[in-house]
Amino acid sequence: MIIPKLALRNLLGAGLRTWLNVVVLSFAFVVIIWTQGLYEGMNAQAERASVDAALGGGQYWQEKYDPLDVFSLEDAHAIVPDSLGAMIAANRATAILVVQGTLYPKGRIHPVMIKGIDPDQQLLSLPSHFLKTGEDRFPALIGSRMAKSTGLKVGDTVTMRWRDAHGTFDARDVEIVQVMKTIVPSIDQGQVWIPLDRLRILAGMEEEAGLVVVAQGALERPEAPGWVFRDLDFLLSDIKQLVRMKSAGAAILYFVLILLAMLAIFDTQVLSIFRRKKEMGTLMAFGFTRGRVIRLFTLEGALHGVLAAVVAALYGIPFLTWFARRGWALPEAMDSYGFAIGEKLFPVYSAGLVVATTLLVLVITTIVSFLPTRKIAKLKPTDALRGRMS
Amino acid sequence: MIKFLFKGLMRDRSRSLFPILTVVIGVMLTVFIYNWINGAQFNFIDSNARFNTGHVKIMSRAYAREADQVPNDLALIGVQSLVDKLQEEYPDMIWTPRIRFGGLLDIPDAEGETREQGPVMGMAVDLLSAGSNEPGIFKLEEALVRGRVPQRAAEILISEDFARRLKVQPGDTATLISVTMQGSMAVANFTVAGTIRFGVEAMDRGAMIADIADIRAALDMEDAAGEILGFFGDFMYRDPQASQITTRFNAAHGDDPDEFVPVMDTLLHQAGMTDLMAMLKMFSGLVLVVFIAVMSLVLWNAGLMGSLRRYGEIGVRLALGETKTHIYRSLIWESLMIGVLGSLIGTAVGLAESYYLQAHGLNIGFMMKNASLFISNVLRAKVSPVSYVIGFIPGLAATFLGSSVSGTGIYRRQTSRLMKELES
Amino acid sequence: MKKHSPVWILAVLVWTLAEAQVPSGDWILQKVDENIGSDNKISHSRMVIHGRRASRTVESRSWIQGDEKSFTEYLAPPREAGTKMLKLEDQLWTYSPSTDRTIRISGHLLRQSVMGSDLSYEDLMEDRKLRDLYAARVSGEEEYDGRVCWVLELTSKEEEVAYHSRKIWVDKERFVALKEDRFAKSGKLLKRTEVKDVQRMEGRWIPRKIVFKDMLKTGEGTEFVLEEVQFNAAIPDHVFSKASLRK
Repeated sequence: MIIPKLALRNLLGAGLRTWLNVVVLSFAFVVIIWTQGLYEGMNAQAERASVDAALGGGQYWQEKYDPLDVFSLEDAHAIVPDSLGAMIAANRATAILVVQGTLYPKGRIHPVMIKGIDPDQQLLSLPSHFLKTGEDRFPALIGSRMAKSTGLKVGDTVTMRWRDAHGTFDARDVEIVQVMKTIVPSIDQGQVWIPLDRLRILAGMEEEAGLVVVAQGALERPEAPGWVFRDLDFLLSDIKQLVRMKSAGAAILYFVLILLAMLAIFDTQVLSIFRRKKEMGTLMAFGFTRGRVIRLFTLEGALHGVLAAVVAALYGIPFLTWFARRGWALPEAMDSYGFAIGEKLFPVYSAGLVVATTLLVLVITTIVSFLPTRKIAKLKPTDALRGRMS
Repeated sequence: MIKFLFKGLMRDRSRSLFPILTVVIGVMLTVFIYNWINGAQFNFIDSNARFNTGHVKIMSRAYAREADQVPNDLALIGVQSLVDKLQEEYPDMIWTPRIRFGGLLDIPDAEGETREQGPVMGMAVDLLSAGSNEPGIFKLEEALVRGRVPQRAAEILISEDFARRLKVQPGDTATLISVTMQGSMAVANFTVAGTIRFGVEAMDRGAMIADIADIRAALDMEDAAGEILGFFGDFMYRDPQASQITTRFNAAHGDDPDEFVPVMDTLLHQAGMTDLMAMLKMFSGLVLVVFIAVMSLVLWNAGLMGSLRRYGEIGVRLALGETKTHIYRSLIWESLMIGVLGSLIGTAVGLAESYYLQAHGLNIGFMMKNASLFISNVLRAKVSPVSYVIGFIPGLAATFLGSSVSGTGIYRRQTSRLMKELES
Repeated sequence: MKKHSPVWILAVLVWTLAEAQVPSGDWILQKVDENIGSDNKISHSRMVIHGRRASRTVESRSWIQGDEKSFTEYLAPPREAGTKMLKLEDQLWTYSPSTDRTIRISGHLLRQSVMGSDLSYEDLMEDRKLRDLYAARVSGEEEYDGRVCWVLELTSKEEEVAYHSRKIWVDKERFVALKEDRFAKSGKLLKRTEVKDVQRMEGRWIPRKIVFKDMLKTGEGTEFVLEEVQFNAAIPDHVFSKASLRK
């Protein structure tokens, strides 16, 4: 037990030098955790926004439903199977019916997806409650991007045309009851939301749906013949890919940062071994083996890492907590890249991230501290006492 | 005196090699990380510019209003004379027309009748004409999955997933069914030269890239184009300059009520990228400040220790009659020399690495699903004029600060004690 | 159909006597069909399409046999010349000489407009008799373009129709449909067809100039001008085969 005590005392005794190293290293800690937290936050938020507004806990797709294939959409509707119907009745899922249509803002043709959603649904954050109007009105909800590209605003009426299940044309003037500000492009661009019941009747697709969104946290995945369950990994694959690339780029930053801190520690170690030969000689004279001396010096170096973790915790925890609470106000435009983040970015620091970073830094610090001590192995106590390195 | 100090430094390896090495590594890392962050930021703008916005983009006013629907009936006409005029006015810029289009890709069977069919969105760029910049802008080879890049007329690239779905091999014929600028049905045969990955789900499901001459012929768009993209010759986006060009260009047509008049927009202004860029700048600035601070600390540390270990020597010099101030000054001079030398070497090495990564990039393919056109899995650094000087900030300032602080020890200690340290 | 004609005429006669002056909608539709005739014809026509930027004219020659078979070859402008279209019952193919490809137009493509006009391929495909699809009712008399017309209101009898209802103005004397409105299920007007010129050709009253208009869209619509028509033409059967597309 003498070695750890001695190492700590030596280290603290070195004063300013030690603290400089520790501060540098603690910076590396905090910056890594902070940046990675930002990326994780970005990822989590983008996912959360999509999940809350559109994806839920996953979706059952009618087997022909494919949002990217406009050709197959015509047939992508079927009667909701009983298994899913039970979930819907228990508010654990909600049905969406998709019909292709055309909007005619100011006489221009604008192809759209008409989506019927239950105005009473609470599953998605999509503000469907705006669609609760009297039967005398025909309400439609659109997103802000859609509003921009069609030039429509709240209160406008616009002609919308579609074909029912038999291919018969139908057209109505719909009233834009709300322009929702959403950060999820998939429920905005080219989408018109109307009450599900109305669409089912008008399209002659009663009891039918194109997809059924499962509630978050609803764990049952009942069999539904003719329907395919799409989990979040599938629905979020684009976002995941993008975030993966971003954090790969950031990894370089961490690497360099740690390298930098190690440079400082290595420097300190080399110097202290050079300067403290007399001390080593004395220790050996007192019966320390070379191995114990090496252990002592390595531990001294490695303790930098421990102290750095403590220091990083001292100022890092308040800073990171403050930051996580306050968030990072983002300009609106982040979503123009199709990335649903929102107005504020809140970093997410996972326990795994903190532990991994700490372990990584400690291991590397130990290795770096050990490397220069190999010189000690060649040390002759007599030379060392005279302060000479052989 | 400088010469004397320099000689001293050179002859005593413990006084020169190690401190210089530290400075070199520190400066190198600073230079490198600066270029790396710069590269990340540049890549972001750059991929947007290359595939979407250009540094500036010209569309007809009517087309711009409905741009997300690719209304080619509203496309620009008289493109060649417009491009010629722009080229004359801004000889340093690259101007290149492009056409986006939608339609169906139809794969014939042996009898020439439909075997498979799928919706397709397409982009037509000048791939084949001599001296075209587009092959360099698109770097199609990097995203190529099978086959090769178009080399002859009527060759196209389609997305890999699309090719699989349509069961098409490189070398097969594909017929594009689209709409001409006038609204007629357009039918044109192409040969699939190869397949690529776009990296965006919607495009990977069904997209093609064709030569603009072919698409012009197919869509009856002779001398027409949906958009004309302008790039600065060095492919560096400079917002003030782009804004200036845009203002000047639009002023010339500002009063024209014709809805087909060409209008120009800058990269940042399109798709609301202004704010995004501001955020990116803030982020990279923050990281950089933190980094330079850390770096300065390390080098300061190194400078500090450099002086500490020389107390013995200082004792002798004091005994020989040198004044403390003189010694202090010589220490600082020494550290500055180390700083300069280290910064020079460090900057050189850092730049060399950065240039390498600018040219070759770092492939993170092992972390990604696949290489693709829009989301590159090759991360690159970007060297800018600032890269040449950025390393000197921590390099010089830190060593100078370090030795100034540690050197003050000379004043605090007794000559006798310094002498004693000589023994160690 | 011809076989049943005497029965038909008898029925009409009885009915006319009973109801005095107002004929039934079906009877009027029947008269319209009889005027146009369902025999073979070869026609030469011109379509003027008004785009947002410019107008252009597409010329074509068609060979038509009954309601279900037709073959069209485009003659002008040069770009479209040589493009052919074959319709056999509910199938449609197009052939483009530049690619030497025969493409079946189906599904989504059917909704596209023909040559940029206000007509979709689907509109061209309509071949079932209105009498079969709709219940017709005479709702009154109106003057259109100086001619006294029966106003017919058609409501679909079947589910599989593109337009839920139609309103047709039929010249009382000549039995030519001079104007037609097509409505959505909601009753919203979607498309309008107006005959601007009627001429007597080979003993029949033929609408020579027709304007089609998509009423939801802004624009001037598409003009269709029949330059020449030859009734009871001898058309060899091989014309209506896919092989003739490539010729």
